[in-house]
Amino acid sequence: MAPLKSLERQYPIIDSDFQNFCASHSIFSVEDFLIHDLYELTALAEPHPTSDRLKEGITQVLGIIDNQHQPWLNGMELLEDALRNKRFLSTGFEGFDLLLRGGFREGQLTELVGPSSSGKTQCCLQAAANVSVKHMGRVVYLDTGNAFSPQRIAHFMEQISDLHFKQAKDKILQKAMSSIVCHSVFDIFAMFDLLFQLECDLRSQIDNRDYLVRLLIVDSISSLITPVLGGIGSQGRALMISAGYLLKKLAHEHNIAVLVTNHTVGGDGGFCKPALGESWKSIPHVRLMLSRNHGSSICSVSILKHPAMASGKATEFVISEF
Amino acid sequence: MALEKGWIEGDESGKEMLLRVLSEWPPFLLLPPFHRLPLRVGNVVELVGPSLSAKTHILIQVAISCILPKEWNGVHYGGLGRLVMFLDLDCRFDVSCLAQLLKHRIIQANGSSSKVHSEQNDGGLWTCHAKKKSSIAYDEELFALCLRRFLYVRCYDSFEFLATLKTLHFRLQKEREACGISVHFLMIDSIGAFHWVDRACRPLPHEGNNRKSLSLQSVSETVVQEIRKLLLVHPMVVIATKAIIIGDKNSAKEVKWKLRKLSTPDITYVDNIKVILSMSHITSICLLSGSPRRFQSFVTHRIAIRPTGEHCAMGENKELSVYLSEWLLPPLKFSDKFAVLGDGTVILL
Repeated sequence: MAPLKSLERQYPIIDSDFQNFCASHSIFSVEDFLIHDLYELTALAEPHPTSDRLKEGITQVLGIIDNQHQPWLNGMELLEDALRNKRFLSTGFEGFDLLLRGGFREGQLTELVGPSSSGKTQCCLQAAANVSVKHMGRVVYLDTGNAFSPQRIAHFMEQISDLHFKQAKDKILQKAMSSIVCHSVFDIFAMFDLLFQLECDLRSQIDNRDYLVRLLIVDSISSLITPVLGGIGSQGRALMISAGYLLKKLAHEHNIAVLVTNHTVGGDGGFCKPALGESWKSIPHVRLMLSRNHGSSICSVSILKHPAMASGKATEFVISEF
Repeated sequence: MALEKGWIEGDESGKEMLLRVLSEWPPFLLLPPFHRLPLRVGNVVELVGPSLSAKTHILIQVAISCILPKEWNGVHYGGLGRLVMFLDLDCRFDVSCLAQLLKHRIIQANGSSSKVHSEQNDGGLWTCHAKKKSSIAYDEELFALCLRRFLYVRCYDSFEFLATLKTLHFRLQKEREACGISVHFLMIDSIGAFHWVDRACRPLPHEGNNRKSLSLQSVSETVVQEIRKLLLVHPMVVIATKAIIIGDKNSAKEVKWKLRKLSTPDITYVDNIKVILSMSHITSICLLSGSPRRFQSFVTHRIAIRPTGEHCAMGENKELSVYLSEWLLPPLKFSDKFAVLGDGTVILL
C-alpha cells in the first residue's frame, strides 16, 4: 500500500506537517494506518496547534482506506449479479450436467479430484471444447504435465458440432480451436505470473466482448502446489492459500468458471483422499470425486462438497473413445 | 442537581428490564445449536468445526431469521426484522443458496398461515386458494425487502478485512439511518482464513524503531480491537466460524502426547478440542486450526460442530448426514444431534 509521501500530490491535506505527525507515531504508509488505533491517533492530534488540519488528514486517509476493500453490497444486488453474470457452463457430459444442475458455474472454483487415469484431464478437455464451441467463450488452459491434447479437443468438438457441411464445420472448429489458449506451466511462480497477467488483461479489456474468458483450467494444480508444501515453514501453505484466493478473485470479478484438478493420496484405512490436505479444503466452492474402473469408459462422479447440495450424490457418464 | 439525581436513580427495575428485553425480541434463536442459551448483543460466538460441518449453512439460517420480519401482511414469520452484516473471508458465499432458503421460509410461513385460514373458513377451498394466491403475489416484495437487509462484503486478504473493519462504523451508521433499523448480527465466515498468508508475511526492515509491522499478531490484535470498539457503538451479536482441523496426523499425535501427560483415560471429542485450544499457548498446534489467539480470548460463546458420520432418514429425505454440536464455552454438558433436510431446514434429532 501507498507510503504517505506518495499521496501528497493527490491529496494536499496529507502535507509534510501531517507526515511528520504520523512519523512521530511510526506511521509511514496507509498500511500502517490499518493496524493503528485511529481514535487514539485523533486524540493524540488534539494538543497540536494544527489539530484541525491533522484530523482532516486522518479523515482523508480513512477515505482512502474505504476504497481499499471490495464494494459493500446487499443481498438483492448480489442476487442480480449472480442471475445476470454467473451462468452455468455445460460440462459436455449429460449426466454430469444434471448432477451439477447445469454444469460448472461462473464465479466458482470447481475442483476435480481423482486418482490417476480417472478421467480428470478428459473432463477438462471436454469442458474446454464445449465452452469454445457452444458458449463462444475463450478458454485459458494451464497445463502442468504436458497432458493437453489438441487432437482430443478436436475429437470432442467434432462430436459436439452436428453440422453436416464439411466447410462450415471446419470453419467453426477453427474458430473454436483458436479461442483455446494453452500455457505450459511447471511451477507455482509461473502460474502466479500468468494469472496476474490475465487479471491485468481482463481488467484493461473489460468492455471488449470478444475477449470474454469463460473458463480457466489448471490441470493439475496439485502438481504445482505439492512441491512447495511440506517442511516446517509456512511459506508453502501461504502460496497455496494465495493461489486459491487469486483464482477465486478472478472467478468472481470476471465471471469465469475456474476448474482445477487434484490427485489423491492414501488416507486412513486405505481409502483414497484428495491431496493438498486440510487447509486447501476451504478453498474450492465445489469438490467432485472422479473414479473409473481400469479400461472402462464409464466414469463415475460424486459430490464431496457443494454450497447448495448435500455431499454424496453421484452419477455416471461416458467418456467417448477416439 | 436533578440531572445527577437522575443518574443515580435506577432507570428501571430488574423485572422491567427483563420484560423490556424479552418483549423486544426473544433472545433464543430456535435454530440448533443456538437454542440452548440466549444470545445477547455484545456476545461473540465462535462456531468451530472441520470443513463440511454445515457452519456456513447455520450462519445463513440465522441470517434469514434475522432479516425476516416478525409479521408481514398478517402472516407471522417470526423473524427479527433487522439487518445482517456478512463479512465473507472464505469468498465462497453463494447468494442463490440464501435466496432459495429464504424463499422456502417465506412459502413455508405462508403455507402454514393459509392452512389456519382454511380451517377457520370451513370447507372454503376457494378462500384458501385466494389467500395463497395473494400471499404469493406479496412474496416478491417481501423477498426483496429481506434480501436488502442482508449486507455483504467479501475480503480477499487481511488488508481488505482490516480496511472493511476500519470503515464499518460509518457504513453501519449510514445503513441505520437509511433503513431505520440497525444491524443485529455481524457474521464472519471464517476467521483465520488468511492465517497462513499472514504468518508467512515477514516484517519489512523498519524505518522507525518502534514501527508496528503487519504480521499475524498485529492483524489479529487490530481485528479484536476494531470489533470491540464497534460493539460499543453498534450493539450486535458477532458470530464467527472457524475451520478446525481434526484428525490431522500431527495434531492427533500431539493431542495424544498431551493427553498422556494429563493421563486422561477416555478421550472424547470435546476433550480433544479443549486440549487443542488450551495448548495453543505452548505449542504451535493452534496454528493447525488457524485461529488467531487474540480472538480466542475475545470469544464469549464457543460451539463445536462436527459431522458424526452417521446417517438418518426423514420422510422423503434419505441418507441425511447427522451433525453433533457441543458447547465448549460456557462449558456446559449440552450436546445435540441435528440434521439438515433437503430443503435446508435444520432439525434436532
